[in-house]
Amino acid sequence: MRNQTPGGAPPGSRKRPALLWLLLPYVLFLAVLPLVNRLTPTVFGLPFLFFWMLLATVATPGAVWLARRGDLRRGRR
Amino acid sequence: MKATVATSVFAVFMALTLALGLLAVRARRGGRRERGLAEWSVGGRSLGTVFIWVLMAGESYTSFSYLGAAGWGYRFGAPVLYVIAYMSCGYALGYVVGPMLWAYARRHGLVGITDIVAHRYGRPWLGTAVALFATVCLLPYIQLQITGMGVVVSTISYGAISLNWAYFLGFALTTTFVVVSGLRGSAWVSVLKDVLVIATLGFLVVYVPLHYFDGYGAFLDRVVAEKPQWLTFPGHESGGLGQGWFISTTVVNSLTVVIFPTTVAGYLGARSADTLRRNAVYLPAYNVLLFVPVALGMAALFVVPGLTGTQSDLALFKLVTDSLPAWAVGVIGVAAALSSIVPMAVFMLVIGTMWGRSVFGARSGAGAGPGEPVDGAAGQRQKRWSQLVVVAAGTLALLLTYFAPQTLVRLSLISYEGMAQLVPMLLLGLVWRRFTWQAAVAGAVAGIALVCAAVFSGHDPLWGVNAGLLALALNVAVALAVTRFGPRARDARPDTEVLAVDDEFPRLTEGDRAVAVGAADSAN
Repeated sequence: MRNQTPGGAPPGSRKRPALLWLLLPYVLFLAVLPLVNRLTPTVFGLPFLFFWMLLATVATPGAVWLARRGDLRRGRR
Repeated sequence: MKATVATSVFAVFMALTLALGLLAVRARRGGRRERGLAEWSVGGRSLGTVFIWVLMAGESYTSFSYLGAAGWGYRFGAPVLYVIAYMSCGYALGYVVGPMLWAYARRHGLVGITDIVAHRYGRPWLGTAVALFATVCLLPYIQLQITGMGVVVSTISYGAISLNWAYFLGFALTTTFVVVSGLRGSAWVSVLKDVLVIATLGFLVVYVPLHYFDGYGAFLDRVVAEKPQWLTFPGHESGGLGQGWFISTTVVNSLTVVIFPTTVAGYLGARSADTLRRNAVYLPAYNVLLFVPVALGMAALFVVPGLTGTQSDLALFKLVTDSLPAWAVGVIGVAAALSSIVPMAVFMLVIGTMWGRSVFGARSGAGAGPGEPVDGAAGQRQKRWSQLVVVAAGTLALLLTYFAPQTLVRLSLISYEGMAQLVPMLLLGLVWRRFTWQAAVAGAVAGIALVCAAVFSGHDPLWGVNAGLLALALNVAVALAVTRFGPRARDARPDTEVLAVDDEFPRLTEGDRAVAVGAADSAN
């Protein structure tokens, strides 16, 4: 028996495509790991793996910000 | 002489810490009179973006970051990156999970994950069971912080404060201020801690390469030329910490960190769901700081070679005591000690809350109803029980540190992977009505059994994969099977009462919304 009330849908059931941005850290840190697990080329002296991880770390707040922006825009409509 | 200077600096800051903790609670009482469990456990749900940021950063940036991160960097190299990866991924997930748990707890007057579980499944004993299990998982962390702080204090005092005294000091300080001031005090002390952590790490990251290596370029060139093994997976003699391990550990830990009881305490302390969303944007930026101890650990490879085993955890402090004047050593020690105290306080607070609410509270039947059950007379009583449990848990951790240090070390191996097994019970349960308590319990039991079997038989990682992730897969499979074939729930409450509903977003007035969107657009 379901007592679904309007507006009471579980999170995610309403479309929030911007939330896909939250997967970006998983892609940067994990999905591409076999490609970036290397010493060269060094970037600003940093071995490539560490450069990439630093990049992914810096990109994470950006990804969440994009998700939030999507939510705010959705709220405006 | 050096010992006196460093110890004095340390003593001054510890006094300041206690004062801040006490001040936090007085400042609040001046405004409104709130003395119930909700004020103590979750800061009256009133902390703004800044406090939540420093508090949550404070919880995750523990003495492990000073000792362990540098130690792993020194011993293994690249595998230490898993800490940065799982925190980044987990904080991103927190964007969704944080507000969801916050809204659910707020609507039903709940103060922790045990409370949430008890309410979701309508079974107070399930909350009690989760509280007991979580306590077993959290106690090792308290001990870890006590020993971490002990090592730091003893090192920065150049041995003047013995290890045993340093352990006791950490315990006494933390217990006092957490009993008195609760989550709000922890948040205030976190501010002091973050200032010191950012300042000292910012300084070290510039100073150490200049002092030892003629600058960054030279340092990095030397690492790349002489220690290439440390710079890619699987690292240096890491014993199977390869890419598969890194990926699986990051996935399972990032799921666990969002429901970890201490993280949830931070979530529930927030003033609004939107505070948490904003926080989820800023919080991952803190992880950049974690690269510093990793780099310093690798620098120590050249300066103090030959540290083995747990000795390597002192890599960073060997550098510091070797190259800096005593007062600076004292300040860095304070930053590291506060990095033990803040998380330890929150761990104790969470254990106290779980027991006051879900163990003693569940038995007396107090606070089961809706409304504001945590601030009434029952809430007062639960708070006193909670404070008592804080002292008891702290004492137990201290005694075990002295008399049976190995017990908790062994338990700590299953802590994180064990807590991971509560993810389906909590998160799947809150969005899926058909998920029954039988399914949640069966899944968790299967998962925990597999974790224990793998860890205690020395098979973690298993086939190059984190055993916690395999256990979580088994957990979900069992839970789905029991949901499909097992008994149906007979729960007459409507979905809105049981599930996390999506009614909290975006909870802004039209004016706020226009401003926020405008800001987002212009920054774009």
